[in-house]
Amino acid sequence: MNKYAMNGITLMQYIFLIQGAQVGTGILSLPRVLAENSGTDGWVNILIAWGINCFAGWVILLTLRKYPDFALPDLFAHLFGKWIGKLLLLPLIAYYAFFAWIIMINTMLFIKAWFLPKTPGFLILLLLAIPGYLVVQHGLRVQARYAEFVFYLMMWVPLIFLATLKHGHWLHLLPVLKEGWEPILHGLPKTVFAFAGNEVLFFIYPFLKKKQYAVHGMLIANTMTMFLYLYVTIICFVFYTPDGITTLNQPVLSLLKTIEFRFVERVDMIFLAIYLIVVSRAWNAYIFCTVFSTSFLFKKQDHSSHTFVYFALAIVCVYLVKPTWNQTEHWMTLLSNAGMGIMYALPVLLLVYTSGFEKYRRWKAG
Amino acid sequence: MFFFSKILNRNRYQQKEAQTKANLPQDQFAKQDSLYQDLSHNIEEVKRLFPSSPDLIIYRFVAGAQKTPVALLYLDGLTDKNSINNHILGPMMQNPPDAKQAMPVPSISGVRTVSTWDDLEAAIFAGESALLLEGQQQAWIYDTKGWPQRAIEDPQLESSLKGAHQGFVETGQQNIALLRRYLPNKQFRIKEQTVGQRGRSKVWILYLEDIAHPEILQELETRIQNVDVDALINTGELAQYIEDDPHSPFPQFIMTERPDSAVSQMLQGRFVVIVDRSPSVIIAPATFTSFFQSVDDYSTRWQIASFIRLLRFTAFMIAMLLPALYIAVISFNYEIIPLQLLLSIAESRASVPFPPLLEAVLMEITLEMMREAGIRLPAPLGQTIGIVGGIVVGQAAVQAGIVSNIMVIIVASTAIASFILPSYDMGMAVRLLRFPMMLLASLFGFIGMVIGFMTLVAHLVALESLGTPYGSPLAPFRWADMKDTFVRLPLSQMTDRPKSARPIQNIRMGKKRPKGDES
Repeated sequence: MNKYAMNGITLMQYIFLIQGAQVGTGILSLPRVLAENSGTDGWVNILIAWGINCFAGWVILLTLRKYPDFALPDLFAHLFGKWIGKLLLLPLIAYYAFFAWIIMINTMLFIKAWFLPKTPGFLILLLLAIPGYLVVQHGLRVQARYAEFVFYLMMWVPLIFLATLKHGHWLHLLPVLKEGWEPILHGLPKTVFAFAGNEVLFFIYPFLKKKQYAVHGMLIANTMTMFLYLYVTIICFVFYTPDGITTLNQPVLSLLKTIEFRFVERVDMIFLAIYLIVVSRAWNAYIFCTVFSTSFLFKKQDHSSHTFVYFALAIVCVYLVKPTWNQTEHWMTLLSNAGMGIMYALPVLLLVYTSGFEKYRRWKAG
Repeated sequence: MFFFSKILNRNRYQQKEAQTKANLPQDQFAKQDSLYQDLSHNIEEVKRLFPSSPDLIIYRFVAGAQKTPVALLYLDGLTDKNSINNHILGPMMQNPPDAKQAMPVPSISGVRTVSTWDDLEAAIFAGESALLLEGQQQAWIYDTKGWPQRAIEDPQLESSLKGAHQGFVETGQQNIALLRRYLPNKQFRIKEQTVGQRGRSKVWILYLEDIAHPEILQELETRIQNVDVDALINTGELAQYIEDDPHSPFPQFIMTERPDSAVSQMLQGRFVVIVDRSPSVIIAPATFTSFFQSVDDYSTRWQIASFIRLLRFTAFMIAMLLPALYIAVISFNYEIIPLQLLLSIAESRASVPFPPLLEAVLMEITLEMMREAGIRLPAPLGQTIGIVGGIVVGQAAVQAGIVSNIMVIIVASTAIASFILPSYDMGMAVRLLRFPMMLLASLFGFIGMVIGFMTLVAHLVALESLGTPYGSPLAPFRWADMKDTFVRLPLSQMTDRPKSARPIQNIRMGKKRPKGDES
């Protein structure tokens, strides 16, 4: 019997959990990163990265399909034995914990830069921790409801960008592939990492009620993220000149700054404040993976105390370290290297290992 | 010497205690479980069982051909004088037409016999009359219940324009009858429970057997069983004992005094809990959006009903966020609003010496005080308070430069918005929640508001009512239920029951629908 059936999630919730984990603060600077590396052909990158990620997600699901009732910690314990499994889990926990922390730090830096320059960082993190704790504390079903609700709540937000289109020049995009494939491939690693989020599959798959749609759900989630990135990137490319865009740190926010309505100036600030709700899904998802694993290590059924400890540690770390933009940038690079391993190498290795493992078991059983 | 005397004293004390202990069982000995044969002995015992009860009437007379001495016991005030005089005493005191009949029979329904003192006591306390006969070890109990009652009238708190003008009253059986009148159906089920050691309130769970989910019924029954208190005075108390999260500001059950809205919820698969002696009933499980619906929505044109629904949701957001938004905008993020508006706000605020939070809290608290004062006062006085508070105080405060004009507009519109919500409990929750929102906005501006909103969403998403998600149909999102959430589509579209109460029978319209009387 599946021990996670009590917290089962629907297909839609599964889709929004994945999509929520993928969309973070990265999107705000994504158009600049793409333009720097690949010029205005950068948007092609998103399509390629989408293809790669869908494939990687499919490989993850191929492994998980063999053990539909196992989350990653159970799977490790099953494959490598109790102790080695736990030992192998440790780097993964570190990755998930660090990832969630980085997303929060990034958000915190944005808030500091745009809203509350004098407020200490740990206080902002404390603010972020309150709703985060309330959601993650309860288990995946509540988190899935949160992700789902936030998605529907925020569906209208991309429409704001359309207001800038009347100033756009579609010529910026042409000709496609003007400099060949090389610059496009150059920017690929960073784009690929913008799709990071598929690795929550390891944890949410056993909760999914209709497992036969797992692949479809993963594809839909990735496609939604892809369309969102593509939409924002193309609008930025159309609005800004190909060189101008690289001078802006967060072209998306600068773009919104140009929008003015009769009743509200500075749409960018409202957008950034509201966007906080969207990003919260991402760190919630990674924190869930972290505390789920740690409570597995300590054999605890309930992960709410671990969630509390996680948030407390996150706040203390910010208090001690006082991270800056440059530091975060550096950590992001480290993280993306680790992410490559976890998103692409680990699934393949696991798939190979499990097929060997199953064959060995069958052979042993005679 | 002193030492000895102490021991002696102690001994004496212990002896005394032993004596009283010895006395007690003697006293208990007199109290035997069942009634005696001897009538006067029985009456002695009754007098001992009801000490200091001047309202207990013991009426002794002789009845029947054999002139048997009998005694009629009842509590004055809890019983219906008419039925006692005409239907018990009348037939019994007249000579029986048939001489062979040993005992005349009162012409009253609901007759039973009891033989233990406990049952007799309970019956008399419940307003029934007990007849004791010489030579009989049992008492005849007649249903003569009749206590002061209120007439059925329009519920004040939830008056409706088009719905029925009958509200629940304080007698549970009558409330059940009011519901039964709407649903003359075999599937209408009632479960009775008794809550309270002293109060012994009867609590009834009403539901439709083929629609309501049995698991939720099970949960509700266990929760009511686990309530162990002295007495239940009101339905609101029961609701707080059985709700899922006692720390949430949101009401987790709908409380209504309207039979028609209770019935419409029963038809959606929900449960109605009636507590005897209380005019409001619990409807469970509730969802967040169900507090934005009213019975009138279904009897007006669907466009109008939809408009009103949307108005309520807008009002909810205004009531909770508008003062906070104002504070955030003028103390932190003034670059957001256009210059013209900013200038007029600045002009109005120029003479105000307080920070925005203080100004807002001052006005909000004044307003809440006026609201609270208005509730308790009789209607003519309440209006005076409204005029004095609203016009005189508001105008004077602005002219004195204590608050700005814009703040008065904001506080007033917030108040109006919070009264639009059809549910009083939800309206109160909103009014309370805007204070933390204002505080967050004054500390962290826009970000504080967003954090407050996220916290609210996180709480609502996690909250459950009797184990069913409170956020449904928003989270978990149910597309089919959207027909009757923010808008109300034509009734012909609503072929299925909403999923949020987990009904076990979905279709409620058309030919394929089970009629509910099969089986």
